[in-house]
Amino acid sequence: MKKQATVITGTVGMDAHVIGTKILSRALKDAGFNVVELGIQVSPEEFTEVAKKTKADAILMTSLYGMAELDLRGFKEKCKQAGLEDLILYIGGVLGVGRQDFKEVEKRFKKLGFERVYPPEANLESVIEDLWNDLRAKGKT
Amino acid sequence: MEIRVKQKRIDEERFLEMRKEVLAQWPTGKEVDLEEAVAYQLSLPESKNFMKVTEKARQEGETLIWPRAGTPVLEDEIALVKTLVDAGIRHIPVTIDSYTRLLQFEKAQQALEESIKTGRPMLNGYPIVNHGVKKTRKVVESVEAAFVPRGAGRLAMEIALASGMTAAGKSSLFEFGSYEKKTTLEECFEHSQYTDRLAGYYTERGAIISTDIHGLVPSGVFPFSVNIACIIIDSLVAAEQGVKSIMPQTHCLGHMAQDIAWMRLIPRLMREYLEKFGYKDVVVPGILANQIPLFPVPQGMGGAFAYLNYTAMVAALAEAEAVFVRTIDEGAGVATRESHALSYESANWILNVVRTQKIKCEIDGVETEEKVTDVEVRAILDKVLELGDGDVVIGSIKGVEAGVIDSPFSPNINIKDKVLGVKDVTGACRYLEFGNLPIPDEIKEFHREKIAERERAEGRKLDYQVAVEDLWALSKGRIVGAPSAS
Repeated sequence: MKKQATVITGTVGMDAHVIGTKILSRALKDAGFNVVELGIQVSPEEFTEVAKKTKADAILMTSLYGMAELDLRGFKEKCKQAGLEDLILYIGGVLGVGRQDFKEVEKRFKKLGFERVYPPEANLESVIEDLWNDLRAKGKT
Repeated sequence: MEIRVKQKRIDEERFLEMRKEVLAQWPTGKEVDLEEAVAYQLSLPESKNFMKVTEKARQEGETLIWPRAGTPVLEDEIALVKTLVDAGIRHIPVTIDSYTRLLQFEKAQQALEESIKTGRPMLNGYPIVNHGVKKTRKVVESVEAAFVPRGAGRLAMEIALASGMTAAGKSSLFEFGSYEKKTTLEECFEHSQYTDRLAGYYTERGAIISTDIHGLVPSGVFPFSVNIACIIIDSLVAAEQGVKSIMPQTHCLGHMAQDIAWMRLIPRLMREYLEKFGYKDVVVPGILANQIPLFPVPQGMGGAFAYLNYTAMVAALAEAEAVFVRTIDEGAGVATRESHALSYESANWILNVVRTQKIKCEIDGVETEEKVTDVEVRAILDKVLELGDGDVVIGSIKGVEAGVIDSPFSPNINIKDKVLGVKDVTGACRYLEFGNLPIPDEIKEFHREKIAERERAEGRKLDYQVAVEDLWALSKGRIVGAPSAS
């Protein structure tokens, strides 16, 4: 690794579900990333503020309570306003209330500015591999 | 650091002063008149008293089903509890919405009004503080069942008990370990001492209010000994404040021998420690088995029915007094009234058929699991009491700081999170990383052997990825996690 990449993790909105973000954070640390763990109930504003402050390369959000879409309305614009166009955005988890077609979910979140969208059963190794590839493609490592 | 809270009963004068502040948090606080509320409690039939309903189930060899029941609009809540009672439910846990849990009563009020206007529930539970005593009594009076508020803070508990609910489902370590992000254990002890004292106040006047206790709640693949130690700590805290009926909750993590062993061990150890600390007249009316791990995703009806009924079966074999089962809609979100009825009808089928046979279950491994966990729990409690110089509250606060009480999946930043669990070849939960837990060496060796056995069987090292796979196991119809496809 040329440079240790800094990534931010956390559960977005008013959601208190923690297991996903904890296990993901640990996997990222083990893979050599500098991980800024924000834990549960992280507002979109906190994500962008911390991203600016830490000059982060990526944010990996999790959500389980189905309301992330509401929490993230206008998030892409907020990132732009904060000068974070270059930030890599991932999200994973249960991303809607009730039964969902994942293809539809993926489309909705890509529109919100997320480069990659993962279902709850996503494999962490492939997420980290995707992250390496995306960082490399943007010349961040 | 100076610790403010101690294991000591709040004196009456101070308690009454504290109450004034709590009742002033929202206008409905004025509806609580403690003496009138005690009289109201005493006028209720035994069928509404949590302890009496539980004891009756115990005597009659029944396992009662706990549903989850909270919807914002009063009339809908009444319709929901009627549906539940028609499905054979006699304990009704009323889920309180998240805004109320976080004391955001104004937000809850707006969402309640919007729910009434649009006919669409905008809150994920029943906003008990906004409804107040008069309205909540209508819910309690609408059916023959004992009510338990879920997730009630101090004001919510005041209103719940004044409305005729007869159990106080709240404990400090549960709040600390499962719902809070930054709150310290000391603050959580202060909250629960208040609600326990309130329950004690009613109890001293003849209206027996029970409390149900969870422990720290690691909702994952993790041996239950830390949690059981925490259940005992919270029992001692409740007993000191005058609570006389304490119902522990265990979590069914899926391995039958472990789940049954824990259900047997918890009431036994609780009684022993309550006795040891001089709380000799405290009743443990039963054990509640709680279905915890992930549900089938995407929602599969076959798996959902099988899984909830498997939990009912384990509770029946353990002769538990109650079982908290999820509905078939759990994987998708909030259950419809029809799903509630269908799920409990099917669990009741299992419970009735199995319990009637009075099966005395001899399952291999139960004895070993009970012994191992017994040693672990005692070691944790010994260390906690040593750190607190005999004071269980101080010892717990110091214990969390020292990682003697620890959990791998807590949302609270004050918990060390230096521990991890995985399953062994048979699906039992084992410690992979012990952190600073004071587990005796020979027990550590037992866990290591079980881990090594699975490592040999699968030809790989067990790590966090395996812990994640194990987390998914039951939702995929397996007891041990399978390597996921990369």
